[in-house]
Amino acid sequence: MTHTERTEQRTPVNGTIRILIGRYQSFRELKDLFFKILLSVAIIVIVAPFFLVLFEVASIGFWQVFGSSSGQGIEFFLTFPGPSLEGGIRNALVGTVELVVIASCVGIPLSVLGAVYINEYTEPGLTKSIVEFTSDVLAGVPSIVIGAFGFAFLVDFLKLGMGVLAGSLTLSFMMIPTVLRTTQEALRSVPQSLREASLALGATKWSTTWNVTLRAAFPGIITGVLLAVGRIMGETAPLIFTAGNNLIVPTELSGSGSWVASLPYTIWAYITDPRAYVQEKAHGAALGLLIMVLIIDLIANYISRRVTRRLV
Amino acid sequence: MVTKDDSRTQKDEVASNRIVRVKSIPQRILDALTDFRDADRPSRIDKLGRVGLLIPAFASTMIIILILTFLWYEAMPIFADPAGGPGIIVNPTWDPSRDSYGIAIFIVGSLLCTGIAIGIAVPLGLAGAIFLSEYCPGRLRQPLKMIIEMMAAIPSIVYGLWAYVVLVPYIGNTLAPALQSNPLTAWIPFFQGETNGLSLIAGGIILAIMLLPTVVTISADALQTVPRSLREASYALGATQSETARKITLSAALPGIGAAVILSLGRAVGETMAILMVTGNSLQIPYTIFDPVYVMTSIITNQLGYAFVFPLWRSALFAIGLILLIMSICFTITAKLFIRWGMKTRGMTG
Repeated sequence: MTHTERTEQRTPVNGTIRILIGRYQSFRELKDLFFKILLSVAIIVIVAPFFLVLFEVASIGFWQVFGSSSGQGIEFFLTFPGPSLEGGIRNALVGTVELVVIASCVGIPLSVLGAVYINEYTEPGLTKSIVEFTSDVLAGVPSIVIGAFGFAFLVDFLKLGMGVLAGSLTLSFMMIPTVLRTTQEALRSVPQSLREASLALGATKWSTTWNVTLRAAFPGIITGVLLAVGRIMGETAPLIFTAGNNLIVPTELSGSGSWVASLPYTIWAYITDPRAYVQEKAHGAALGLLIMVLIIDLIANYISRRVTRRLV
Repeated sequence: MVTKDDSRTQKDEVASNRIVRVKSIPQRILDALTDFRDADRPSRIDKLGRVGLLIPAFASTMIIILILTFLWYEAMPIFADPAGGPGIIVNPTWDPSRDSYGIAIFIVGSLLCTGIAIGIAVPLGLAGAIFLSEYCPGRLRQPLKMIIEMMAAIPSIVYGLWAYVVLVPYIGNTLAPALQSNPLTAWIPFFQGETNGLSLIAGGIILAIMLLPTVVTISADALQTVPRSLREASYALGATQSETARKITLSAALPGIGAAVILSLGRAVGETMAILMVTGNSLQIPYTIFDPVYVMTSIITNQLGYAFVFPLWRSALFAIGLILLIMSICFTITAKLFIRWGMKTRGMTG
């Protein structure tokens, strides 16, 4: 574009700028260049916080997570914190894993089967749009509102009490819309001919769905599940009133023995603590959480990219 | 040849068909059960599955209804009580020890924080999206997109930690003194006031950083669905690349961008942990950008733990939750309307 000859009238201003800039031939092209520079600056500003956050968390947390002296490295994740929070964060790590696993066990089947129903068993219509609309609304509900609801409904009304059960059920509520929508998207991209071939061979709708459609949509579903797991892993607000906190791993299913710590909650509690060594542990925990979440996100990204490449 | 007799039987059949179609509900269930008994094993599983899938399909609907019911049920006492009433929305005094539950400061705080965040994130994010979809060299696009997607995956507590440890001291020690001593900006009333960094602007900035990935990703997608022919037509008329991007591509992608802005608005109002850690949480209406501020999500997080034994106090907190929920539902509906508008006028899925 910049090399095309222009036949504009040369004003004195244009002429001066031409002399100054040389190859940029008109004010409009100068504006074009200026716009381009502005956009490049903008993208640098947008991406910068990622590296700033990573640098800050890693600069203090690095030796907690990768160091080799006592209480660092793998020991940091495998020892329980003592009464004044020295020691590691095993309680939080185990707690997060427990919460995420239970939440997935509840959330994934519900949302995948729901997506199968609205994509395979219904025609576009009222049912479908109701389910789609409500899951979009649920995806937009603020996490603290879901936490307050979990407290009012699970802890208070159903008398589950705070603990691992109430916490993970609350997390599963957050998981459902994400997995449902991505599963639906994956099912939609399965070619209709595959289903028709299976039905033509005399398979029922049910076995077609299980053996053909779901299998073809599997990578897409896994991507959605991973994204949802990465998201709920870092959620603090829903857990504050539903999961409690604990210095050891939960030993019971109800009562105060079932209270459970989690990585995000631990980061929050540790970073607002005035003691310097506790704040360092917060950075270590944050780095651990960040690495877990980013790895999950990268895997999801990788799978989805490979799948799109295969389909195209 | 169709005899009279045949035609009558046909009519009868049609009639009986019609009767079959309007069978009563118990009859239909009975028929389904008979079918189920007569079927072989695969079809039995098929029939069971069809019914069984109904429950998971409506899981999210049931959760939304439950959330609405419970928040409404919990928020009712404060709206019915003489100490509260709907007037709490405009009452600025929050003092649970004297039964005064005005939530206006939190609403104002949330709106101000969100306003600053949107004011930073939307122009910046749009510029980033235009760069990604129009200008970006091919080799750079994939890594940039990946970084932005990873930014969206970073938990809010980690952003909060960074803001608490880095951004807040920076604002307190460097930015505020610089703006207040500099003769160019020192006279501006919004920049006055002592600060330790825990402030409205800290909340706005960290919120903007958290919104940027959403704005950039959705707007870049919307920009990329703009047909190539539109751009080519514009180039052919002699427009430069920037003119094409600003006047043609941007306006063609407007509905998608509108949806991106509204969705990020919803996220901004509902964001909890990061903003809780950096805004200072003081019960006042901020007058300058360096004043501390209390937002709706923070008050719930900070006080629900103590308040749940006091019915009115607890109810007021749930009323705030209900307002948040209604706001988020409105944002979702508006975003959907934007997308529908895009499909209608531009024929594309924003």
